Amino acid sequence: MRKLFAIMVCKLSHFVGRLVGKGSSLPGKFALKICPDVLRRVKLPEHIIAVTGSNGKTSTVEMIAAILQADGKTVVYNKEGSNQIEGVTTLVLTHATLGGRVRADVLLIESDERYAAHTFRYFHPTEFVVTNLYRDQLTRNGHPEWVYDSILPAIHPETELLLNADDPLSSCFARGHGRVKWFGLDKCSVSGDEPTGAYRDGAYCPVCHGPMEYDYVHYNHIGAFRCTKCGHRKPETDYTVTAVDLDESAVTIDGEVRIALAFRSIYNIYNILAAYAACRECGVGRETAAAVLSNYLLKNGRMQRFRLGAHEGMLLTSKHENSVAYDTNLRYIAASDRDCVVLVIVDAVSRKYFTSETSWLWDVDFDRLRAPHVKRVVLAGRYCNDLAERFSYTGVENWSVEPSIPAAAAELKSTGDEELFVVTCFSDRAKILSRVEKEA
Amino acid sequence: MEVRIIHFYPRLMDLYGSRANVLALERYLKLLGCGVTVETVVPGGGADLSRGDFFYMGAGTERSARAAMEDFARFGGRLKEAAQDGAAMLFAGTAMDLIGTTVREADGSAYDALGLASFVTEHGRRRIVEDVYGHTDLYPEAVVGFMNKCGVVTGVETPLLTGLELGFGNERERGPEGFHWKNVFASQLTGPLLVKNPKLLETVAAAVYARRGKPLPVDRPADPWAEKAYAVTEEELRARAQAK
Repeated sequence: MRKLFAIMVCKLSHFVGRLVGKGSSLPGKFALKICPDVLRRVKLPEHIIAVTGSNGKTSTVEMIAAILQADGKTVVYNKEGSNQIEGVTTLVLTHATLGGRVRADVLLIESDERYAAHTFRYFHPTEFVVTNLYRDQLTRNGHPEWVYDSILPAIHPETELLLNADDPLSSCFARGHGRVKWFGLDKCSVSGDEPTGAYRDGAYCPVCHGPMEYDYVHYNHIGAFRCTKCGHRKPETDYTVTAVDLDESAVTIDGEVRIALAFRSIYNIYNILAAYAACRECGVGRETAAAVLSNYLLKNGRMQRFRLGAHEGMLLTSKHENSVAYDTNLRYIAASDRDCVVLVIVDAVSRKYFTSETSWLWDVDFDRLRAPHVKRVVLAGRYCNDLAERFSYTGVENWSVEPSIPAAAAELKSTGDEELFVVTCFSDRAKILSRVEKEA
Repeated sequence: MEVRIIHFYPRLMDLYGSRANVLALERYLKLLGCGVTVETVVPGGGADLSRGDFFYMGAGTERSARAAMEDFARFGGRLKEAAQDGAAMLFAGTAMDLIGTTVREADGSAYDALGLASFVTEHGRRRIVEDVYGHTDLYPEAVVGFMNKCGVVTGVETPLLTGLELGFGNERERGPEGFHWKNVFASQLTGPLLVKNPKLLETVAAAVYARRGKPLPVDRPADPWAEKAYAVTEEELRARAQAK
């Protein structure tokens, strides 16, 4: 009876919430008050795919959903991004019958990494994708090992793990776990010899703290690692990007599946591979997966083209407090071959909570902007002085400071015609997008 | 003046941009006219501490700190002698734990720390993450920063920050924070606290000079970006503290 009541309250409050534009977690919160173990009492689909990790959750989930739907499957997933237990409860119950049967072939969940154990207390994923684990939002997450310890209790023995073979830390989830599939990149055109970045989280083994060596690296410390002391190393992969052709904007998976890239980012390649692996594990044919993933344009708006004066622009949304996300976008800018201007904005460190913490700026490898085609860098926002101080320790010389975002936009609009890259976070991107002509 | 900075475990203990403290002090001393050498110590590697003017270790994960301690123990005697002799030192974040006597982990295990100070650190399951706004007896300006730790420190009689208006101190919310004895500075404020607090940078530099029997030069380098950044954060956190 409590289950029925919880489902009804959730559906009703979700309906009302949508009318008044309220968030997606409150209905689930109400339902959990009424019936705390309601998620154990409902009948869930045969496949429950969860995706967690520091980066790429939302994009990977979006691509998995698109592939599964193209394969004719009904997919329920949290596209609104409410990835803690309340949001997941809303998602499940609003798609359930009053009898508690979720009307879908697949339940697909983007799970907050720190709250995964809480979310999966009453049910567990059949497939659990961990995209990666590294420094992300340390003001709430502590550090990557702390997050690792938070996820560990969420891993059920029956769950099949899909792990990133190139990530020294998240690959540790396989230790003592029987069911694991690995995805990763072979050495390819984007690989380097040594870890890169402002810090070296891959310098020491996460298992024994022995020194690590790398056969090759795809970005930062993600690559073919091996501990010189305990033998922790990149495992053989089940799903592999075997070739990357950035000139042709394409990757090859398992030597035979060619996928055209809509966006030439190493992140995009890993997300594509993770989505491909998850869907193949759910029985989707390689042709179906490849057809969807080819030239797949993410709808989450993290990359946005626009025009500002004579500048063709691109917003590269980079989570503040996530140096690897920043580095990836800085690498993208460094690899572009046209003259450009870069606008870096740090105005609100987070959209969800207050903090004045700017230590993460020291983890970002801003020296990547030291390239001849980067004509100048403009630093803007409330924390522009922290940015300026950080830049004063780089080899980048052509940077200037404009605290006001509107003034920075106006100045850029009136001068120059180079390509314009804007690097900022969800919390700040509307402040610049409101001043440009967005492209569809 | 030639200054020798000894940086312990720069790759193992470098969470939250910790290495920026060395960069800031190095640049400041150079702008004062010093010749500065930075030598790094890696686990198992050689190290000559005999002529060190400034000894530094930054923050690491709890596991990294424990791994660092396995190596750091071999320097105990020499560091205690140097501290007694007035050498300047800074231990930030979990590195502060390592100069106490004991670190007790959340799983119930424990290990011996350096014993340079008499405090004990006890890690728990709760992460304490919050902005910090506090005061020190060393200078009148407020100290700003961020706390990112999972433990409490007991037994500190000479804290670095004598009181907090915002944030968690050694043992409790808004209690005293860190450790200060002679020219040894330690704080669980994470990240580049010398960048965020220009006055603390000046204080540490003065400690380096003091050991050589010299006062800090009257003409000191200005860092307008650091000063402005401090002003913004100080204003934000003061308002936050007052609102509580």
